[in-house]
Amino acid sequence: MITFPGPVSALVTLPVAPDRDGIARVLDLERFAREALPDLRATIPAFNRLLVEGSPHSWDATDVESRLAAGAEACLAEAPGVDAGEPVSLPVCYDPELAPDLEAVAANAGVGVAEVARLHSGTTYAVLATGFAPGFAYMGDVDARIAMPRLTTPRPRVETGSVGIADRRTGIYPAAGPGGWRLIGRVPAAFFADAAERIARFRPGGSVEFRPIDRDEYEAAGG
Amino acid sequence: MSPHGVVDRPGPFCTIQDLGRRSGRRAGLAPGGAMDQRAYLWANRLLGNDPAAAALEITLGGFALRFAVETAVALTGADCAATLDGVETGAWRTVRARPGQVLRLGYSATGMRAFVAFPGGLDVPAAFGSASAVVRDGWPGLLGRPLGAGEPLRWRESERTCPVRRVPRGLVPPNPASLTLPLIVGYEWAEFSNADRERVFAAEWTVDPASDRTAGRLAGPALSSGPRVLDSTPLVDGTVQVTGDGLPLVFMRDRPTIGGYAKLGSVDPIALDAFAQARPGTPIRFTRADPDALRRALARRERFFGIRHEP
Repeated sequence: MITFPGPVSALVTLPVAPDRDGIARVLDLERFAREALPDLRATIPAFNRLLVEGSPHSWDATDVESRLAAGAEACLAEAPGVDAGEPVSLPVCYDPELAPDLEAVAANAGVGVAEVARLHSGTTYAVLATGFAPGFAYMGDVDARIAMPRLTTPRPRVETGSVGIADRRTGIYPAAGPGGWRLIGRVPAAFFADAAERIARFRPGGSVEFRPIDRDEYEAAGG
Repeated sequence: MSPHGVVDRPGPFCTIQDLGRRSGRRAGLAPGGAMDQRAYLWANRLLGNDPAAAALEITLGGFALRFAVETAVALTGADCAATLDGVETGAWRTVRARPGQVLRLGYSATGMRAFVAFPGGLDVPAAFGSASAVVRDGWPGLLGRPLGAGEPLRWRESERTCPVRRVPRGLVPPNPASLTLPLIVGYEWAEFSNADRERVFAAEWTVDPASDRTAGRLAGPALSSGPRVLDSTPLVDGTVQVTGDGLPLVFMRDRPTIGGYAKLGSVDPIALDAFAQARPGTPIRFTRADPDALRRALARRERFFGIRHEP
């Protein structure tokens, strides 16, 4: 489906699930759009959607719609592109003292805390979208056994580096602030100290791995 | 390096702004940029600057700047009864200053934001192609915080003099008592109830005092909160989102790049300038926009101010 949310923008929603496969197809469509449409000023891929923003001097909604429709059809007809990039690897300390929802997630899954850590760190995740805050990535898919909906009432303060779960998605808070995801671990805050590094770490379609670390290693990294 | 001027008083909230950053949107960076782009663009045009030169955005006035060099500055936006060494200067014009003179802005009587531009633009660092401060994004230095008292400023062409220039009277935007915002319907518009869709164009809201650089919030009748949105969706400038309380908000320059609530569409990007100057309590209505007319107006503005976009 293609809609026009602004005077020089088009939003394509692909009829696919908003998962690893979905974002890969969206990135295929983004590459196509960058080739096929003149004067694009920005593209934003997120989940199963792509926003393209053009120039007011050359934007022709009818032409954009027909090109994007053809591009979407081509992207859906083929296997999605493979992301060849190196995975981003981050250390996570799964410790109830650092992660206020870890025990609740374990109880909900009927397993121990160590098993939650094993299941969460045993998956290579795909970045499905970035946004919400600079350096925040929505990643999936979390193992169904430890998936849990977000809190009904968000916490007023979540610490920097907190690793959260919301349904089948996981993410890391790059800065302290309010948040409603279930917190199951913590990445040392030193990984978020540099603004440019924090912002550039994740890109849509990229892979992310979590490496479990114990409390000593967490503290040695500056906590 | 010695400063060309020092901010004696920054007022309630004074930041460095330009036309904002586009390339960072894909990485989740707020666009940032001058809230009232028309006023900002006129300030640079009066000095013959690049249209994207970094300038000061001064919220509500209460500002004072002491010059250390002979120079000219341009003053536009909200009327803050500006004075130079106590002599009224007026606004929407260039002002020449000598070393030791002080430019003062009172608290604005109408409008929300004044702009001061400098020859060649402020000499400040940029990130992702823009010097715009976005406090929410946590950038270091002046990219991430408002100016403080005693802040030293340097501009790029301190030697450049400039004749006195004024914006032609007919082109100075008025301060209307109420605003009608052209709305391009889109996003989840079709999923709102008929009653809600009728209400959007029939109701009157007012600007809520909780409005800021991220969003202009509206107070007034609530919509029935709209359809449930499963995944955050990429946003355009001026997206109108309906949060859980049923009240619309209009996303402004420091907005996020994706949003998870139901959305009605987006406001004419050019109308955001007047909206940025609307004080709390200003009545707001929506009218249905013709997207192609808005596109043509955007193209005219870019040509008039000489705005270029590198690919």
